[in-house]
Amino acid sequence: MTTEPPAGVWLLACGNPDRRDDGAALVATRGLAATECGQLDIDDLLRAPAGVPIVICDAAAGVAPGLVVTKTFDELLANPRGPSPHSSHALPIDQVIGVARALSNKPIDGLFVGVGGADFGFGRGLSPSVEAALPQFRAAIESLV
Amino acid sequence: MTHGMAHDPAHDAAPGEHVFDVGMLTRVEGEGSLTLRVRDGAVVQAQLGIFEAPRYFERLVVGRTPDEVIDIVARICGICPVAYQMSAVHAFEALFGVQVDPGVRALRRLFYCGEWIESHALHIYLLHAPDFLGYPSAIELARDHRAVVERALAMKRTGNALVARLGARPIHPLTVRVGGWSRIPTRKELLALRPALDEALATAQATVDFVTTLSAPDFMREPRLVSLRHPDEYPMNEGRIVSTDGLDIALGSWREAFAEDQVAWSNALQARTHAGEVYLLGPSSRVTLNAARLHPLAADALARTGLAEQIRVNPYWSIAARAVELVHATAEAIDIIDSYVAPDRAFTPWEPRAGSAGWATEAPRGLLFHHYEIDERGLVSAAQIVPPTSQNQAAIEADLTAFAPSVLALPHAEATLRLEQLIRSYDPCISCATHFLDLRIETADR
Repeated sequence: MTTEPPAGVWLLACGNPDRRDDGAALVATRGLAATECGQLDIDDLLRAPAGVPIVICDAAAGVAPGLVVTKTFDELLANPRGPSPHSSHALPIDQVIGVARALSNKPIDGLFVGVGGADFGFGRGLSPSVEAALPQFRAAIESLV
Repeated sequence: MTHGMAHDPAHDAAPGEHVFDVGMLTRVEGEGSLTLRVRDGAVVQAQLGIFEAPRYFERLVVGRTPDEVIDIVARICGICPVAYQMSAVHAFEALFGVQVDPGVRALRRLFYCGEWIESHALHIYLLHAPDFLGYPSAIELARDHRAVVERALAMKRTGNALVARLGARPIHPLTVRVGGWSRIPTRKELLALRPALDEALATAQATVDFVTTLSAPDFMREPRLVSLRHPDEYPMNEGRIVSTDGLDIALGSWREAFAEDQVAWSNALQARTHAGEVYLLGPSSRVTLNAARLHPLAADALARTGLAEQIRVNPYWSIAARAVELVHATAEAIDIIDSYVAPDRAFTPWEPRAGSAGWATEAPRGLLFHHYEIDERGLVSAAQIVPPTSQNQAAIEADLTAFAPSVLALPHAEATLRLEQLIRSYDPCISCATHFLDLRIETADR
């Protein structure tokens, strides 16, 4: 389900609810005005309204399960090996942001808020470590919107 | 998805050996590595490692109904879920003796056209073209050739829209079921896609012209190419399995010609012929074995390139094969929509029965084989899923072994880049992400 994001922030909730912790951001953003985008794509960033910061919420690759991280886009570009959204499928996150910036006539900037996942296997429901971190994950997102 | 390298082969370099170790291949879909071991100027070992964790889908589908399996296997890949659904649904229908409505069949080809369009557009422009144009990534390409990347994204969008129209969403679609579809589109809904497809066809034609301006390394070999072949149409869902060396077997008979095997350095099984020979799948194989069945516009495009023979013998020119298939897929999609009459019923009723059946269809990256055993309750009791990339692994390693001597005199970074570029030519879909390059060189003196 997609609801209209608020004017103040372009909130993207990424992930697949059928792949366990990959759906963490979809759970954490329930009730918030977020655009669900499945796999993060260049178009998801290009669609952001001009002048509105982007917040990407997703399970995070490269961090310990249950750990909540916040990174600026510039940090993601500078260190794509570091914590990054799990759902930039076909292209790595630095490519997604970098290409969007190259193509856009408006600034593409914002933050990534992620939670480290433990289980990305098939199935519904979050792992215990991600479930326990949900309040902190949600609070980190709410602090930005 | 897993991260991090397992074993570091560079540490095992013997005296006199050079080890080229690409810990993380870039601009491929998934997580893999390359290790090339060179001794006294000769390649003694080429290993394409796939260290992404096994996901055990073949076990996950056991105990499930056929329709559940179709939903589950769509989750195997975010780039080619249609392929997984098509191989599965046809296997079940073959076993249950289901004859689908011609309109249902046409929609399945349309579905596949959408997937080929989005997958090929992604690979040609964002993953492969930077190699030919001397850019380290699509970011630099987008800065210098904005229009090129924009048309790639537009084409990808069109492919996604086609899949979404039929499958309810662009990734992991939902509407395929044994016997047909859970929902079929109206003619009006499909006609709404026509303007975007018209534009996509023009872009596909321009893509063919674009790739013919590129120059590729002069690497030629005589590969064994394998694909489906249908008597009347370019292969997607039906036909027989054929090869450049005379193989011609039924789709369900893949096991009669090929077998999977485990190798120590990869979490993906490798496949070879029963005689131990490697073979190559994908656009180059399809175009070579089915040139006469291309849509007339695609056949014209292929002729315009003058690259048919290069597509057969030089893996780098797979980019031209993909471009020709872009033309085919967009042109066929338009034809299907223009002649579309909604079927009277969305699906043919069916009854399960015990037994086993296999089927192969043509994923963007090549032949995808599924085999299922169904028990007396109508549930899956065993499954085998053989993706194209696992079948291509051994051929890629063989090509790396043959190609590497031509780059050994180059600076190490340049040689490694050339080797990575060769791997990208096969568009390996290792699984679910593209990450970064970690190159380490270890040289041991005698």
